[in-house]
Amino acid sequence: MTATMPTSATPRAVGPIAPPIPENATIVVQNLSKWYGDVVAVSDVSFGVEPGVTALLGPNGAGKSTTLEMLTGLLKPSTGTIRVLGKPARGDVSLYRQVGLVPEQETIYPFLTGYEFVRLNAVLQKLPEPDAATTRALGLVELLPDAGRAVRGYSKGMRQRVRVAAALVHAPQVLLMDEPLNGTDPVQRAHMIELIRRLGREGRTVLVSSHVLHEVERFADRILVIARGKLAAAGDFHAIRDKIDEHARAVRLRCDDARRFAAALVQTPIVLAVRLEATPDGAQPGLVIETSDVRELYRLVPVVAQDQGIRLFEVAALDDSLASVFAYVVGR
Amino acid sequence: MSAPAVTPPHTGRPILATLPIFDLSLRAFSGGKAIRVVALFALVPTLFAGIFWLDAAGQTSREFLNDLFRELIAPTILPLAVLTLGTNALGNEIEDRTMVYLVLKPIARWRIVAEKFLAVVAVGTLLLWLGVALTWFVTMRSSAGDNLDMLVAIELAVLAAVLGYGSLFMAVSLLVPRALLAGIIYTLLWETTIARFIPGVRLVSVRHYVVSIYGRILDDPQFLVEQAMHLGPAVIVIVVLTVVALALTSWRLATMNLE
Repeated sequence: MTATMPTSATPRAVGPIAPPIPENATIVVQNLSKWYGDVVAVSDVSFGVEPGVTALLGPNGAGKSTTLEMLTGLLKPSTGTIRVLGKPARGDVSLYRQVGLVPEQETIYPFLTGYEFVRLNAVLQKLPEPDAATTRALGLVELLPDAGRAVRGYSKGMRQRVRVAAALVHAPQVLLMDEPLNGTDPVQRAHMIELIRRLGREGRTVLVSSHVLHEVERFADRILVIARGKLAAAGDFHAIRDKIDEHARAVRLRCDDARRFAAALVQTPIVLAVRLEATPDGAQPGLVIETSDVRELYRLVPVVAQDQGIRLFEVAALDDSLASVFAYVVGR
Repeated sequence: MSAPAVTPPHTGRPILATLPIFDLSLRAFSGGKAIRVVALFALVPTLFAGIFWLDAAGQTSREFLNDLFRELIAPTILPLAVLTLGTNALGNEIEDRTMVYLVLKPIARWRIVAEKFLAVVAVGTLLLWLGVALTWFVTMRSSAGDNLDMLVAIELAVLAAVLGYGSLFMAVSLLVPRALLAGIIYTLLWETTIARFIPGVRLVSVRHYVVSIYGRILDDPQFLVEQAMHLGPAVIVIVVLTVVALALTSWRLATMNLE
């Protein structure tokens, strides 16, 4: 799958886009909009989601959760249609045998233990062996040792994992996860990412919302970028990342001789501009480098530093936050 | 998906497979504030019975209990107690978003509503029956055995009230913002005040049917209920109200946005 991006003669094009719907799409969204009075939460979004892991990427408030809620039938769209596994997303409860949702909110029945909560979900799914399914699901998120404790005593990460277990207890074909890595520690996060990837490899359709670009890179094959309620990009993660990388980016650099480093860097064709940045403590000024190829710059910086005998203290991308990437993508 | 085989931890009593939402709701009620509020409401008439015990002021026990039921329990205690449970049953789960765990399951919405309603009826009836029984006992004391007819009449009227008000307030909790406040205003303004004093209006109050059921079952000429309906029609009205309110609640749960 290739990336679909807004294209135009100017560096920044304007969304929204409407990528082609893949033939094997298990989720098909067409012309989806949701508004609340004058506030538009989601605007004319169309996309298809295939089996495997797809990330729904966007800054906070972009419309990700609203989109996920409409995909599960919790919210009625203002306009547009959604079909999940060939059925309308809303109105047919039999669909929920094959769909699981990990909601973003933390609230779980506090009086239940983790085991009871997951088992409740198994019973509500009418599984023939709810205990076996519960044990299996809790094992997947490595929560069995704490499953006998009341949920009210769980940490944020444990609550997140028990919600994932509850969503997986019936082994759904389609799994929708709203910010599933929130609140998890690095070890849990690595485990969760591996679990998401495994579910994708098993042929399930996993749609994961996130606002953290570098996290998404670790598990998603494809991404849907949503910003200000509009679909701004869709397709292969790396292709989109490469397209983003093609455009000017700013990198901050601190070293022990900023002026000499600036003079050396400005000779290279990928550096568009360099400016000195005063530091509050009066130490060596920092450098802000604008580049047309950030990857090449990252490769070049240590080489130049070594050649010039300059010590590097810090290299950081100024606009690597997702918000700035989205700002570029939607042409703000 | 595969996972290592591990012995499940000790978890206490498992959720009932046949009525999981009913069981869940009972557990939610048992640890919540609502049940304590209902218990307090249920005990208020006993307080009055205790005062009567100290000074009967010329009233017989039957007269006192009849007045207490018709003037306090039926128009105020029953609706307020059931309001607490009825608005809590669905409203709280929608507010704290745990409702998501129920509605995203292959379960018909009417089934969710029916099991929730069953929990409201079970908890409400049990507590109010106990409260009424205690009030009856404190009022009658040594003559309790001769006044069992009053206990039966009041308890059956309480059941009718729990069915009618329970279904009505569950519907209100999904249809009206600030349902608890709306229910309190409805109870104090309509059931307690307007429907008692304006003859035509009482036909559209749950209280009138509850008091009619009480009066017809008691069947004591001394305690005739004004404009009382016959038992059959009164029961039918309560049943129809319950079915319509539950159907409305199910429809609302199926069509509303759960954000």
